[in-house]
Amino acid sequence: MLFAWMLLIVFLALIACMFEDLESDIGSQSNPNSQVQLAAQIGQVNRFFNKAISGEAPSYALYCTIAGVVAYVLLLKDVNPLLAIPIGALAGEAIHVIFSVTAHVGRTAAQKRFEQPIYLDVLYGHLLPIATHGFMATLCITAIAYIQCNLGTLSGMPALDHPFALPLLGFIWGITVGAIGSSTGDIHYGAEREFQDRPFGEGKRVVYHGKITRYADCGVRTQKDIAYFCAKYGGPITGFTFGLIILFESWRSLIGMMLGGYLPLQEAMASDTLLGTVARVATELIPAIPAAIGDLTAIIGIVVGLAIGIVLIVGNVVIVKWARKRYGPFVGE
Amino acid sequence: MTVGGGPVVEEEKTEGFSFPPDVTQLGIISAIIAIVIVIIPGLPAVVKAVGVIFALLWGMDSVRKTSKYGLGTGVPSIGVLATGYGVLGALVGIAFAGILNVSIVQPGVLIGVIAMAIVGLISGVLSNNEKIIGMKIPGLERGMMELGIAGTLAMLLQFSIVAGSLDFNLVVERAISNGVIAVMFVLSMMAMFHPYNACLGPDERRPRTLMVSIEISGLLFIILGIFVAATAVSTWGVAGVVDGISLIVFGLIVWIVFFVKFIKTAMREAHSTVGTGLIKTIE
Repeated sequence: MLFAWMLLIVFLALIACMFEDLESDIGSQSNPNSQVQLAAQIGQVNRFFNKAISGEAPSYALYCTIAGVVAYVLLLKDVNPLLAIPIGALAGEAIHVIFSVTAHVGRTAAQKRFEQPIYLDVLYGHLLPIATHGFMATLCITAIAYIQCNLGTLSGMPALDHPFALPLLGFIWGITVGAIGSSTGDIHYGAEREFQDRPFGEGKRVVYHGKITRYADCGVRTQKDIAYFCAKYGGPITGFTFGLIILFESWRSLIGMMLGGYLPLQEAMASDTLLGTVARVATELIPAIPAAIGDLTAIIGIVVGLAIGIVLIVGNVVIVKWARKRYGPFVGE
Repeated sequence: MTVGGGPVVEEEKTEGFSFPPDVTQLGIISAIIAIVIVIIPGLPAVVKAVGVIFALLWGMDSVRKTSKYGLGTGVPSIGVLATGYGVLGALVGIAFAGILNVSIVQPGVLIGVIAMAIVGLISGVLSNNEKIIGMKIPGLERGMMELGIAGTLAMLLQFSIVAGSLDFNLVVERAISNGVIAVMFVLSMMAMFHPYNACLGPDERRPRTLMVSIEISGLLFIILGIFVAATAVSTWGVAGVVDGISLIVFGLIVWIVFFVKFIKTAMREAHSTVGTGLIKTIE
């Protein structure tokens, strides 16, 4: 049962990070940003939505924390979690949309001297995709936080309930999902589009940065084109990254708990058989037993984690070397 | 990540909506109002909310003043730093809340404020000192000190809104261990750095930026009000149901007024506001 809940968390993390990445593409928080967000300042007037709500990590911490607090309040009032979590996510997204509007309007108004107008259709047209993608991400994160909060109760071992409250978990997961979405899957700003004429897709002069914001394959480019482009590869790969991180992390903790004897002990203590009574009495009489089991659990977990890390690093080096050798520098059409 | 840029010019005070006090005046006014409100924890939540607005406004103004010299990506970071100071300072403050009490006035919490002012000043000096980090940002020392004070005052006021008192155990029980501190942290930091980050650009104007801070404070009060009203143990007392509901109404009014005002001002002051249109062709 515990493993099933863990896998559900992994799946939710995959969906959350995929939608998070696509949402940040629509708002140009992720793809393409930095200099491109200020493209108008180098003369490249554009029809992009300028969602400058700090980095992705703090902004997702914001929406997920608000979703967490609202869901927490509703759960305190005995509302069913199936209703409380979506309502929380809805509240988080309401805040998201408000912040998006102030950011876009504020930034555009501050670029007055570069003749960048506020296009109302750009403003209204992007809010709904931002809200819907963000809602999916916030919903999944709040659900993860809820499951973690009640993991022990749900899987029959109350000792496994997370010590942190729902809003705090939402905050931590929000920062994590934002940080991973911000660092992974940014293909639109990388080799695929803007730097296609460079070996391995590296740097280009700042003067050309703004150009990516102006014209698409057909007509004037907006972020909807970018979301469409990134949904094929960048978004899913970001989700995959986050899902894998959670998978490895929970897998190593669970392996540690299994092999270290923590889970069998908890299971025995929760049962009503003679073994359960013996386990309860023994742990109470000799506190060294649970302490030793806890130490062993932690050590096995850390060792497995280190092994996974080393395998991943070696795998990455091999894959990058292979790809560079196999495909070489970009040679043009 | 966002990147700042463009030349910084002196603001034109003649056009549009203006905000009367300058940076120093606003700092002094806000500090006095917030300190007076924070040392009397028995006040109703709405009055404390006014204190929070001023504290965050001051913090935002310090972020703006410090970041104006091309801090770019540092704008969000410095806001988070200020709120981090705030959480630390508020914890120090409530630890001393029991001493120096004179009936309903609790000046003990100001020890936390002073501590954070000193820490902020030291970190400002360290960052600006040629021999240590050498960031050479004009006014960084003063800015960091103000951020420490403003952050601490804002967090203390929010603790006192949610817990109804500044007693250490009560605050830990009702504002920290149940996780509501996360929402205070994240919305306070947003109120400090989002305005300047959102309005960043060569044509940024201080009154417009200040409005965003007040608007975000309104959102903060709505969320805190919902929390206070839902978890209240009494109806009429401090941090009771009535306190929570009045906070929601106050937050809603503040938010609507300043959001509408900001959007209207920004749309009026932008180069132009058009329904739709093609982009300007470049040769």
